[in-house]
Amino acid sequence: MTAPAPPAGTPYRSAVLAQARDGFGRLLLAEWTKLRTVPRWMLTLLASVLLTVLVALLSAAGTDSTGSGGGDAAPPPTGTFDLGHFTYRPLAGDGSVTARVAAQDGGGAWAKAGLMLRGSAQRGTPYAALMVTPGHGVRLQTGYASGGQGGGAAALPRWLRLTRSGTTVTGYDSPDGRAWHRVGSVRLDGLPERALAGMFVAVPDHVEVQRQFGGESVSGSPGDTRATFDHVSLSPAAPGAAWRDRGTPGGPAADPDADGRTGSGGTFTLKGTGDIGPDEFADDITRTTLTGVLIGQAAVVALAVLFVTAEFRRGMLRTTFAASPRRGRVLAAKAVVAGLAGLGAGLAAALGAVLLAGPVLRSHGMSPPPLSDGAVLRAVLGTAALLGAVAVFSLSVAVIVRRSAPAITIVLLLLLVPQIVATGLPLSAARWLERLTPAAGFAIQHTVPRFDQAIAPWAGFGVLCAYTAAALAAAAWLIRKRDA
Amino acid sequence: MEATIEVRGLRKRYGAAVAVDDLSFTAGPGQVTGFVGPNGAGKSTTMRMIMGLDRPDAGTALVGGRPYRSLRTPLCRLGAMLDAAAVHPARRARDHLRWLAHANGLPARRVDEVIELAGLASAARRRAGGFSLGMRQRLGIAAALLGDPPVLMFDEPVNGLDPEGIAWIRGLLRSLAAEGRAVLVSSHLMSELEGGADHLVVIGRGRLIADTSVADLLDAASGGRVELRTAERQGAMTVLARAGATATATGPDAVTVAGLPSERIIALLTGAGVAFSGISAHRATLEEAYMELTRDAVEFQAVTGQGAR
Repeated sequence: MTAPAPPAGTPYRSAVLAQARDGFGRLLLAEWTKLRTVPRWMLTLLASVLLTVLVALLSAAGTDSTGSGGGDAAPPPTGTFDLGHFTYRPLAGDGSVTARVAAQDGGGAWAKAGLMLRGSAQRGTPYAALMVTPGHGVRLQTGYASGGQGGGAAALPRWLRLTRSGTTVTGYDSPDGRAWHRVGSVRLDGLPERALAGMFVAVPDHVEVQRQFGGESVSGSPGDTRATFDHVSLSPAAPGAAWRDRGTPGGPAADPDADGRTGSGGTFTLKGTGDIGPDEFADDITRTTLTGVLIGQAAVVALAVLFVTAEFRRGMLRTTFAASPRRGRVLAAKAVVAGLAGLGAGLAAALGAVLLAGPVLRSHGMSPPPLSDGAVLRAVLGTAALLGAVAVFSLSVAVIVRRSAPAITIVLLLLLVPQIVATGLPLSAARWLERLTPAAGFAIQHTVPRFDQAIAPWAGFGVLCAYTAAALAAAAWLIRKRDA
Repeated sequence: MEATIEVRGLRKRYGAAVAVDDLSFTAGPGQVTGFVGPNGAGKSTTMRMIMGLDRPDAGTALVGGRPYRSLRTPLCRLGAMLDAAAVHPARRARDHLRWLAHANGLPARRVDEVIELAGLASAARRRAGGFSLGMRQRLGIAAALLGDPPVLMFDEPVNGLDPEGIAWIRGLLRSLAAEGRAVLVSSHLMSELEGGADHLVVIGRGRLIADTSVADLLDAASGGRVELRTAERQGAMTVLARAGATATATGPDAVTVAGLPSERIIALLTGAGVAFSGISAHRATLEEAYMELTRDAVEFQAVTGQGAR
């Protein structure tokens, strides 16, 4: 054939060029369209939600409350103790209570003997307690979240004094009842005019924790302690009120050998069992309810990885980069879309788990804290954020390794193995493992302080975010550098 | 903006293997430029470098005078189909075009227009995984046309298509070029481009072998050879060889003669008394021309190829 000479006319101009726009918003829309239009990916997201909720329901249906069943009508918040023996009289307005701890025996280094001031004898209400401990000196403690302040050593006998002024309670101690040293002060908001003040003893349980791969068993036996107080004075005492006692709950099962008050004249001997403060061995019901996220996340990981590797495998990435040559922005848009998908699935899964498992748990005699509880809300929203971060992390790893199976394996290994291996390691090693690996992010699901908590909730989430940021940065560098 | 692809001194190596070596050519507006070479000659690598997907080790590739990576809405500058299989099988054809349109902010009506243009209307709502090769090619072409670009690039668009599909694509390429667009089409089979391309860029082992119009190439390949029909084949060959021509028997009564014009051959044969029944100028087919070029390229590593210009 003979080729015609090229026409000398004007070169072609795109008719839609004037309407075309580029921008990050367009890229987000493009990536979201990609995600939305593969049905199996949307099903994967749904599966992640359903699996999480299903595990929550199964675990809720399998729980049994094994508490003593008796005792107070209103139990203290989960994860705390308000036990021991408290002998008190009403204190009329501002005033103080003073006593000398003459002797203390039994219960170990954390056995507590001292003074307590609180608005009501009801369990779980705010209190201020000044105490001596055999191993940790004189301490001022309030609330249920921590073990109080103070330290050092204290020789017995020891004088203690709690002074109330408005809502402020100040603790003093003295070796001789004359030279007083201020230990500290605490505020008890809403403390009524007529507060209760007196002596208390408390002691943590003997707890033995056995950890093995896949789980732990915590077995405790109540400890008991005894302390003798003398030089007890309380002023101004409400007129006509006698000393009253609040012992260990348990009705007829209460053991008179372990719990009670004896004494004559100005000398009191208190016996008690059980501790006051955080229960470091309590079940974290919310966290247990959210355990299914461990399974649900696998679906989110798979989705985020496939969202990337599907493009690598079929050469679709070339089409993507042909449409948007600025690769960093493409990666950013993909990360935002995958992150939001993970976040959405996480939110639905966590809300579904907590809200649906709640009634089941209650029907089994448990008392899960409500969603309005600050820590529970943090765990639920945190789980959503966790899955969002996991999605971005998975996507970044997928960009780096470019193939589905290795990417999914690496991410799941990093997220799950530390948590499984940790249960079989000594506590100190396990803590480091759970602090330094991406699995630290699961700390956001903790709602009560526990003995095995390796890292604070937000700090743990921060560790995961740091890993995610590092992986994303590496992915951004590689995706620009490599040929598509 | 000019509708051209300009490649200057492009070089790319993968490890020890040189995929593209100092390649320069231009695909101009209003033309279908055939980009031909054996498998592995570096055609796809060159196309990826033009699109900024692979980074050249040396040289430049410009689309409408600018590097592809600097284009803001590249779908309106260059439309390409590199691999018709590069579609997620679970995605509907229409959704595939939709995300592409979103990426460049193209109006939604363009999606419907290109579906119509590519003859995909009945399959638009089907998932790409169930598409035949021909339909995938149509989807790839629809995607390339989405931004109504002045430059189009297709990598082996007719590979594996049935004759009807080949005819359709050939017609489409011609009509796109007739609108003033630059169209670059690669193929490893010259015959696929016969009647389709105006200009040819032939490469072998990553190097340029020929950059020529189809007409010139055919003239060069025909090389002034003359086709002679005679019953006295042996006698004719002896006479012509004695006069310095190269005579090759190509059939029981056919001889191809090179090195002498027709008039001289007639005179010689008449003088020697050799009877002949016909004499005509030899017309090479594109395939022959190409085979000759690439055989040289393979055997002598393309040094001689420049001579075809």
